[in-house]
Amino acid sequence: MDLRKTIIATLCVIAGLVLVFPSAQPVRCGGKLSPKEILDRVDDLFRGISSHGRMTMKITTAHWKRSLTLEFWSEGKEKSLIRILAPKKEKGTATLRVGNDMWNYLPKVKRIIKLPSSMMSASWMGSHFTNDDLVKESRMAEDYTFEVTFEGEREGHKIVEVTCHPKPDAAVVWGKVVVTVRRVDYLPLNCIYYDEDLYRARTMIFSKIGRFGERRLPTVMTVVPEDKPNEKTEVVYEEMTFDLDLPPQTFSLRSLQR
Amino acid sequence: MIILRIAWRSLWRNPRRTLITVAAISLNAAILIVSYSLMEGFKEHAVSNATNLVVGEVQIHVPKYLVDRSLYKSMKDPKAILSTLDRHDVPAASRSYGYGLVACENKSAGALFWGVDPTAERNVFDLAKHMGEGTFIPNTPAKGIVLGKKLARSLNARIGSEIVVVVQAADGSLGNELYSVTGILKAAGESMDRTAAILHQADFSELFVSGGRVHEIALNSKGKLALDELATLASQVAPQAEVKTWRQLMPSLSDMVNMFDAGIWIFGIIFFLAAALGVMNTMLMATFERMREFGVLKALGATPWRILRDVAVEALVLGFVSAIIGTMLGLGVSYYLMKTGLDLSMFAGDYSIGGVAFDPVWRATIRLKTVVTPVVVMWMVCLIASIYPATLAARLNPVKTMVRV
Repeated sequence: MDLRKTIIATLCVIAGLVLVFPSAQPVRCGGKLSPKEILDRVDDLFRGISSHGRMTMKITTAHWKRSLTLEFWSEGKEKSLIRILAPKKEKGTATLRVGNDMWNYLPKVKRIIKLPSSMMSASWMGSHFTNDDLVKESRMAEDYTFEVTFEGEREGHKIVEVTCHPKPDAAVVWGKVVVTVRRVDYLPLNCIYYDEDLYRARTMIFSKIGRFGERRLPTVMTVVPEDKPNEKTEVVYEEMTFDLDLPPQTFSLRSLQR
Repeated sequence: MIILRIAWRSLWRNPRRTLITVAAISLNAAILIVSYSLMEGFKEHAVSNATNLVVGEVQIHVPKYLVDRSLYKSMKDPKAILSTLDRHDVPAASRSYGYGLVACENKSAGALFWGVDPTAERNVFDLAKHMGEGTFIPNTPAKGIVLGKKLARSLNARIGSEIVVVVQAADGSLGNELYSVTGILKAAGESMDRTAAILHQADFSELFVSGGRVHEIALNSKGKLALDELATLASQVAPQAEVKTWRQLMPSLSDMVNMFDAGIWIFGIIFFLAAALGVMNTMLMATFERMREFGVLKALGATPWRILRDVAVEALVLGFVSAIIGTMLGLGVSYYLMKTGLDLSMFAGDYSIGGVAFDPVWRATIRLKTVVTPVVVMWMVCLIASIYPATLAARLNPVKTMVRV
């Protein structure tokens, strides 16, 4: 069953990243934030009016290693479009997501396929992401109860650690999420996700803080699954612009095929 | 020889009694042969239906392949294994598997792709004949695809529909291709119905960039070799591989067959008891009828042993004649039921138990045990039934015996 969803995984994950990541609010420095404000800031860091950019995704599995260059567009948390620029074999392959619907365009056969909802709601076994990354319409501060569990120095950084437990009625897949941010500017360092039995499931590491326009944010994100420590997916943002005016037809089936 | 002649003569001294006894015994033997053959037929039919479709009698995989069906757990040298099996005259087919996505117009679903060698499937298995609509993929690769029944329904696919396929290839790239539906399978168990998407092995290798990886070799001698013989051969041919018999691959069917075997035993004992009681009654009557005669013999100086012997030989001869008639009768009816079968389609159409499809025609299977067991049992019953009254006669006082009767 592992490979069954991996294709979609790759494409969807990318789409998810575009959605989650691209537009960041400028972060003010200084001033002590409450845990709610920290979570909101981490959430908002990855959300905005719109974005456009380029990134490289390096996937390492036990059997292969590859690097994809991707161009992406996003608007709000509902719409995203992502297109593979390289390698050549997959050039032009694109994924469009509008709300809960997803389509893939396959240039080799010149066809669009709509992904079945069963596959979107299933967990992405074999990939390094989960569907939660993809359909992330929730906010941490709304779906979880949270508290600061550590504040001080760790590995040379002044950090704040916020531990989140899902609210009983929240539709989330994790049993616990531990978010660590830098004390100085509240940029995220890592998120550790625990499954329903509170076993560590995967780690998301944020690094290489860089600047795109006015925004400072981590430009590299690495996901390491706990059960396959030799595997990982690394996303490097290379170019990004935020809050630009995208024509409405950007997120249409027609533009998917272009 | 004189004993046999005497026995033969005394049997025909009362032809009516003898004929009734012969009729009773042979009819009983025939009924037992037919019912045993029918039960055996049902059982073997269930097994061969299941194994001949795709599973085969024995399968070879890389160890632990069946746990996750990983694309990367492929066999080292499938061609060598296949050619060795061919040299041993064991029919076999190789298959590759991989997961992916199939789409037809705006419907899509997950599927398990099978890369098969259509020539081998046609020769060794019944899959190519198990078509609900259309035909199996042609022997030469032509971008044809065969879909499981429920998969085709959920895609709204028909014969000739264009199917878009997307998979994660073995090198991590995105494999995608267009295929055309050549056929849709008949119901063949839940998982096949829902997920099977069958391609030519060459098309599969191209789609998955898998360089001809093979994940499974299925052996099917169609009963020519015993199961353990075949499994031993498979382990010799592929020493590092995991060899599994259909009993391990289809545990529910295996359990069902074991249950059925137990059922045959229980019903067999009941049938045999009933038949034996009938025969015993006839034999007892026939011997008691002759008590007076035994008394006379004894009065003339026959030893008890001699009386016992005469009666036993008579019973054996009677049993022998009945066995021949009964076997002929039973074999004839069983043969008819093997060739033509009992058509049960007026009671039920195509049905399946535990994912195994059954024919609505119930056929018998004639095996050595289905003929020999009833005949031997009947013969024994004959002997026992005659020896008991003969012993009584041999031991009794001749005068009393003659007077009493």
